[in-house]
Amino acid sequence: MEYLSLFIKSIFVDNMIFAYFLGMCSYLAVSKNVKTANGLGIAVVLVLAITVPVNYLLNRFVLQPGALSWLGPKFAAVDLSFLSYILFIAVIAAMVQIVEMIVEKYLPSLYSSLGIFLPLIAVNCAILGGSLFMQQREFGNILEAIVYALGSGTGWYLAIVTLAAIREKMAYSNVPAGLRGIGITFITVGLMGIAFMAFMGIAL
Amino acid sequence: MNTNGNTYTVVYTTLVCVLVAAILAVASQVLKPRQAANEKAETISQILVAAGYGEMEGWRKAGNTAVLQCFKDNVEGDPQVYTTSQLKAQNYNIKQGKPLSLPVYRFKNGITVLAVYGAGLWGPVWGYIAFEPDMTTIAGAYFDHESEIPGLGGKIKDDPSFRDSFKGKVIGRDNKVEFDAISGATMTSRGLEAAIDTWMKAYREN
Amino acid sequence: MGKLRETILNPLFKNNPVTVLVLGICSSLAVTVEMKGALVMAISVTVVTGLSSLILSLIRKTIPNRVRIIVQLVVVALLVILVDQILRSFEATYAIDKQLSVYMGLIITNCIVMGRIEAFALGNKPLPALLDGLANGLGYGLILLSVAFFRELLGSGTLFGIPVLKALGYPGNGLVILPPMALIILGCIIWIQRSIDKDLQE
Repeated sequence: MEYLSLFIKSIFVDNMIFAYFLGMCSYLAVSKNVKTANGLGIAVVLVLAITVPVNYLLNRFVLQPGALSWLGPKFAAVDLSFLSYILFIAVIAAMVQIVEMIVEKYLPSLYSSLGIFLPLIAVNCAILGGSLFMQQREFGNILEAIVYALGSGTGWYLAIVTLAAIREKMAYSNVPAGLRGIGITFITVGLMGIAFMAFMGIAL
Repeated sequence: MNTNGNTYTVVYTTLVCVLVAAILAVASQVLKPRQAANEKAETISQILVAAGYGEMEGWRKAGNTAVLQCFKDNVEGDPQVYTTSQLKAQNYNIKQGKPLSLPVYRFKNGITVLAVYGAGLWGPVWGYIAFEPDMTTIAGAYFDHESEIPGLGGKIKDDPSFRDSFKGKVIGRDNKVEFDAISGATMTSRGLEAAIDTWMKAYREN
Repeated sequence: MGKLRETILNPLFKNNPVTVLVLGICSSLAVTVEMKGALVMAISVTVVTGLSSLILSLIRKTIPNRVRIIVQLVVVALLVILVDQILRSFEATYAIDKQLSVYMGLIITNCIVMGRIEAFALGNKPLPALLDGLANGLGYGLILLSVAFFRELLGSGTLFGIPVLKALGYPGNGLVILPPMALIILGCIIWIQRSIDKDLQE
């Protein structure tokens, strides 16, 4: 039950785009049509679901204050948390490389549709943000971290596909000259965000 | 120079990594005492607010020295101050049934401040509850939690009316205190309730 | 000399990284609830873009091409961690740094930083690279502060925590504090900018 509410909460209430603006750059750049948005969205879910649990273990057993105590009591006082940004980003870059190689080798059809997005993802704030939020929220076990990663990835996926659908329709509308393109997109995302606020009232 | 050879690439990357790690380790060592001092002062100012000395904004403006001075003047003895990460460690001990050492801050005006720590839906919540000399009536409280959006602090942190609603309440033998959950933060409120429950029990047993 | 001037002035308006190039929105909008947080964030990003451009421009001829991105990330992460640690060490900035928490770390993946390194610093001499980085950070800060100005003024009726509208009895507007309004305000800023400068219209 707790996992379910965590999942729902990370999709709707704490949506990465509408509540935290994570991954905005690629969100705005790649949401011109539904097909590419779909590809990037799936890639984000995949990479989040891999990197957050890995970084969770890294945080739990290496970085946290006292995390190294499994090496022996001598290491109990070691606090490596100042290295977390750099190690998280390194893990993400490495994981993205590995996922890219595996997908290329075993799932060539998926690779041809996702391929170009994977390298982009290493510098997507949603991915690093997922790991940093995971660290800050101090999840109790790895299952919670996985559920959180899947939930927030799905939320991101949902957000980019809906925006792409709206933008496809909007191409035919008569928007004031100064707002055309990126301006109206910002306002649309803002309005979508207000709509998503309705989920905040849900008691979870 | 050939910058694309394998050896060069490996040596270069290793050198960069070692250099960066060294800089960071030195910086972290040098700055650690100051950061710890700031953390301690923040914890103490939260305890003072719970006990009814001043407000958070005021303490922030007054600076660390004033906070430490006020604490020293009003607290009995020289209790060890538990920072949030130490509270977290003790919370872990409570759950595991390990031996505990819990912070108790006795003030000269008879008020005693105890700490609580627990999990909300997003991350930890913690706080300080101040008791009248009878040790059952609440004199004041301060709660805090990690919040992701700067400035959009949760209500339990920023809304004085929520904190005031604790004043005068009685914590009975069942360790329960009744308070109104905040709409939109049901899980956080419930987490806080559970945290108070567990910690008060732990205090009673020790 | 004219070229240097352009390097500095372009990112502030005509080529603003946020409103024109649409970079670095990720970590930026969330910190615009208050002027204070926005100011600290703007300064931190300016320092990081400036110094990372300078450092990478200095070592640009030695970087092996295959690990280019990794080296860039490591240098940027180093600077971000240093800024974060230094902010946390001072009494005045400790509370703000705690508030900015995750968004501080997200400067690493701020597209402006990486974008300027890739597009400018790796192909230019150190001095122009430093100026380009600083100017882009300032352009980013300009937008950040204007969004924060409206959000704090209309949202809580204060500026830098000092009551302005609040003193006149303005009760504050919760909607403006909520995240979606940041996007709408930014949309309006873009609208104004493109109405003034017709060249930018699509």
